[in-house]
Amino acid sequence: MSQSTTQPETRRQRRGRSRQRAIKPGSNPLGRSLLYVVLAGLVVVYVGPMLWAVSSSFKVRGDIFSFPPQLIPDPVTLENYATLLETQPFWRWMIMSSSVALIATIATVFFCSLAGFGFAKYDFKGKNVLFYTMFSSMALPFAVILVPLFVLVSIMGLSHPFIALIVPWVAPAFGIFMMRQYTEQSVPSELLDAARIDGCGEFKIFLSIVFPLLKPAVGALGVWSFLNSYNNLLWPLVIVAEPQFYTMPLGLQTLFAAEGRQYDLVMAGAVLATVPALIVFFLLRKHMVSGLTAGAVKS
Amino acid sequence: MTSRTRWTPYVFISPFFILFFVFMIVPVGAGAYLSLTEWAGLGTPEFIGLDNYRRLMDDPVFGISLFNTGFYTLCALLIVFPAALLMAVALNARGLKLRDFFRMIYFMPVVLSPIIIALIFGLIFDGEYGLFNAILQALFGYAGINWLTDPLWARVVVVILVLWRWTGFLTIFFLAGLQGIPRELYESAEIDGAGPLRRFFSVTMPQLRPVTAFIAVTMLFNTAQIFEEPFLLTEGGPGQSTVSIAMFIYRAGFEQQELGYAAAAGVMMFIIVFVLGLAAARVFGVGRSNQ
Repeated sequence: MSQSTTQPETRRQRRGRSRQRAIKPGSNPLGRSLLYVVLAGLVVVYVGPMLWAVSSSFKVRGDIFSFPPQLIPDPVTLENYATLLETQPFWRWMIMSSSVALIATIATVFFCSLAGFGFAKYDFKGKNVLFYTMFSSMALPFAVILVPLFVLVSIMGLSHPFIALIVPWVAPAFGIFMMRQYTEQSVPSELLDAARIDGCGEFKIFLSIVFPLLKPAVGALGVWSFLNSYNNLLWPLVIVAEPQFYTMPLGLQTLFAAEGRQYDLVMAGAVLATVPALIVFFLLRKHMVSGLTAGAVKS
Repeated sequence: MTSRTRWTPYVFISPFFILFFVFMIVPVGAGAYLSLTEWAGLGTPEFIGLDNYRRLMDDPVFGISLFNTGFYTLCALLIVFPAALLMAVALNARGLKLRDFFRMIYFMPVVLSPIIIALIFGLIFDGEYGLFNAILQALFGYAGINWLTDPLWARVVVVILVLWRWTGFLTIFFLAGLQGIPRELYESAEIDGAGPLRRFFSVTMPQLRPVTAFIAVTMLFNTAQIFEEPFLLTEGGPGQSTVSIAMFIYRAGFEQQELGYAAAAGVMMFIIVFVLGLAAARVFGVGRSNQ
């Protein structure tokens, strides 16, 4: 990048100057307040619908659709949650989705870091062709292979949900690309050479030296992969036939598509189902941003 | 390199290529074969030549699905993309307080299940009881739009849903790109007398080019395979007016059990996306920018 050509001293001086300017809130206080108004308005646009969903889940069925709409439920009822948990195998969906997502995430993080390391720190024949092949595979829309993949997975006898929902997706190209970018930036090659001189094996180098250095990227990829798996709808819709293996989105979708559109139950379920995803997101949100964008910005 | 390490990188990258071959290359080939057959999933596929493709050409629903997917993609590029860029520019304002908080809030829809998003939008844009019409009623005394049962407005709501769901996600990429632009460039442009708009087009945009390319291409491919938004929000309706290609394939294959026909639609989609991808790679210079 071009900033590396600037002299370090002058850079620091200029930084200091721009920081001074930052303390004075800009030359235009009106524009500045307008900016905050717009940003806060957007917060309403984003948070509003989510709160609306939470609020609706505490309404009695007739009040979910009422005009004018009720902002705060009156009466507040826990009926939807109670009925959902009584009549639907909600926890089973939850366990199914969470365990599939967890296994998929662990495997994805492992295979992607390993391959990312392979692409970032080794020179080998055909590397460019292989990398470009891997990179272009991101452009293949899933819908293109939906039908034949379903057929193949069924023929090969891999249609057990725990296999079909996990195995095909544990080495996504996006994840490998991301880990490769991150490894190139943050793992010094001298460290690897030093370990080699000490007689360390290549896989052990990966596990004990490289992997620990990839923490932020691992966090980002972990969240990305967990959410992808946890929220996935199309593939489970196609491959999971037995209700005892329904994932959360599949269970809710079936409930929703059933006659009478049970908005009350589905809304309660959807709110509950979001909790694990939000927990994972909040725990790892710092890594998420830095890790996800590391690859995109530099290449 | 010693002989011991020569094979190492191949072993490290092999899981991807094994899965790539088994679960992508083979299906693409199998799909091409299936597209030439008639098959309901049981028994042997019956070879029928190019009949499926002829049928696709005459199928008005397939035409609609192509049109809609094109429309969604165009809207993503013309609305979502600039919106994300604007939001990132706003968040990049010097000395902005609460930047991380805003960024986190805008990012949140990506965390939510598409089901809950579709439910919320179904409620908000309901023609009779929806919150949005209630707001319109309060502000303008007019609430006559049946958002989800009018073919045109239903498409608009799908686009609004896409906008709400993905803009914040793209914003973090733009923002990261903006934060990588050295402040000195702006300062020297300012000294040269460039106004804010001029600075945006002569400093920000060129510096942001790698990120822009990445986001545009990602968005192009993601919107081309849009499924959940119309499937959950409108079920493709009213009628077939919001159906996307991915939805068309799903319905043909798994609701009508016409696997050969669905596979043919898949092959068509592959060709379209491939051509678009080549064009996009040209326009944005992706691939070359790697070296």
